[in-house]
Amino acid sequence: MIGFIKKDLAMIKSNFKLLGVLIFVYAIMGLMGKMDISFILPFMCVMIMISSFSYDNYNKWDAYCISLPNGRKNSVKSKYITTILMTLMVCLITIILSFIISYVNTKTINYEQILVTMFGTLFGTLLVLTIMYPIIYKFGVEKARIGIFLLVFGIVIVFGFLSQYIDLSFIAKTLSFLENYIVIILVIIMIAMVYISYKVSEKIFSKKEF
Amino acid sequence: MGNILEIKNLCKKYDNFELKNISFTLPKGMIMGFIGENGAGKTTTIKAILDIIKSYTGEIKIFGLDNRKYDEKIKEDIGVVLDDMFFPEILTPDDINNTMKGIYKNWDSNMFSDYLKKFSLLSNKQIKTFSKGMRKKLEIATALSHHPKLLILDEPTSGLDPVARAEVIQIFQSILEKDECSILLSSHITTDLEHIADYITFINNGEIVLSKTTNELLDKYGIVKCTEKEFKEIDKKDYIKYKKTKYEYEVLVENKKDFKSKYNIAVIDKITLDDLMVLMIKGEE
Repeated sequence: MIGFIKKDLAMIKSNFKLLGVLIFVYAIMGLMGKMDISFILPFMCVMIMISSFSYDNYNKWDAYCISLPNGRKNSVKSKYITTILMTLMVCLITIILSFIISYVNTKTINYEQILVTMFGTLFGTLLVLTIMYPIIYKFGVEKARIGIFLLVFGIVIVFGFLSQYIDLSFIAKTLSFLENYIVIILVIIMIAMVYISYKVSEKIFSKKEF
Repeated sequence: MGNILEIKNLCKKYDNFELKNISFTLPKGMIMGFIGENGAGKTTTIKAILDIIKSYTGEIKIFGLDNRKYDEKIKEDIGVVLDDMFFPEILTPDDINNTMKGIYKNWDSNMFSDYLKKFSLLSNKQIKTFSKGMRKKLEIATALSHHPKLLILDEPTSGLDPVARAEVIQIFQSILEKDECSILLSSHITTDLEHIADYITFINNGEIVLSKTTNELLDKYGIVKCTEKEFKEIDKKDYIKYKKTKYEYEVLVENKKDFKSKYNIAVIDKITLDDLMVLMIKGEE
């Protein structure tokens, strides 16, 4: 299992630089008080991981990995685990940077808005993952590409629009009104949708022939 | 001596191709050459053994265990080289080493590193910078570095120059001597198999045509070269296939000695696996 994760991480390591540049751009834009692009960063993780499917497909890794011990199960599991780990890591970095940017710009930290924005972004990112991965496993990354772009850009535009024109703090107020329950409910929903998506992908891949 | 691999009545149907009742066994410590023309069913059979294709019927036992029930346990001890299927080419041999360490319990990094040196492969270069021959060597090094008990090799010497081919064949032989490993080796380069294979299994159009020891095949089978008049005197029961060339008839016979004792035809050549394949596929009955 660990081996499959290492392989996926090795494949995307060249994209870490791009991710680093984007985080840097986000920090600079944030400090200059320009557009908040923090919501793009976790989405990038999924996009990068989706590109790893193309490399797998090109060199027929999916067929080869079945010849390895528990290859059918572990290759699917590692895609989910690697994507989620990377997304959580980027979310954490973005949250820390957002705190710093908020403090530098306003001398206070707007914890609620930052956390709610990132929470929403994480939810959206996991939604993309949970919808796209089974589609990729079923139809292949090339056929699923159009769907991926429509879905990702749709969500990015919606979030971009919301962050530009709508004060997201009302979500924070709503959430604080519902206390911690809504967060727990959303976390449960996120875990459930990732689990269901994983099981569907695993089922599709377990029947796949090459 | 037990069987490492047993295949019984393997059938798999596609729209335009079918594997029909494939059965053969590979005894422990032996090399089996798996031959046949392109599209004969070699790769499909190998894919069924490794469970890369599903929905086939029949029984496949590896190390005496059902290949689907004991998938994980079995694959710990199998090394594979598959035709055109491998790690993504943006990875390096170092990445493969790190990956395999986390996959195989018996992965031997030192052995892998030794093979890389032996094959002159740089461990930090991306696979995409390697030539076809270098990639093949890397695939072989990867297949060998966890001390497998069974090697399943689909065209492992294709793309290699004669020197590298000889080197690889020698490695396979030395593994057999040291580790009691067994090898199923499909190849178009049948001359390699004549030197190393203990058994030859010949598949044609999805059916096993023969599965015999190499000695039996090369010693007993023969090609009778005769005139048209001589050919017409041969009983149909006494030959397998024949081919008419510009000047003579080439007739494939199953037992040179028996044939010689029955017919007074002087020229009976020793058979090569190439001859066998050509006559079996292109010859007339």
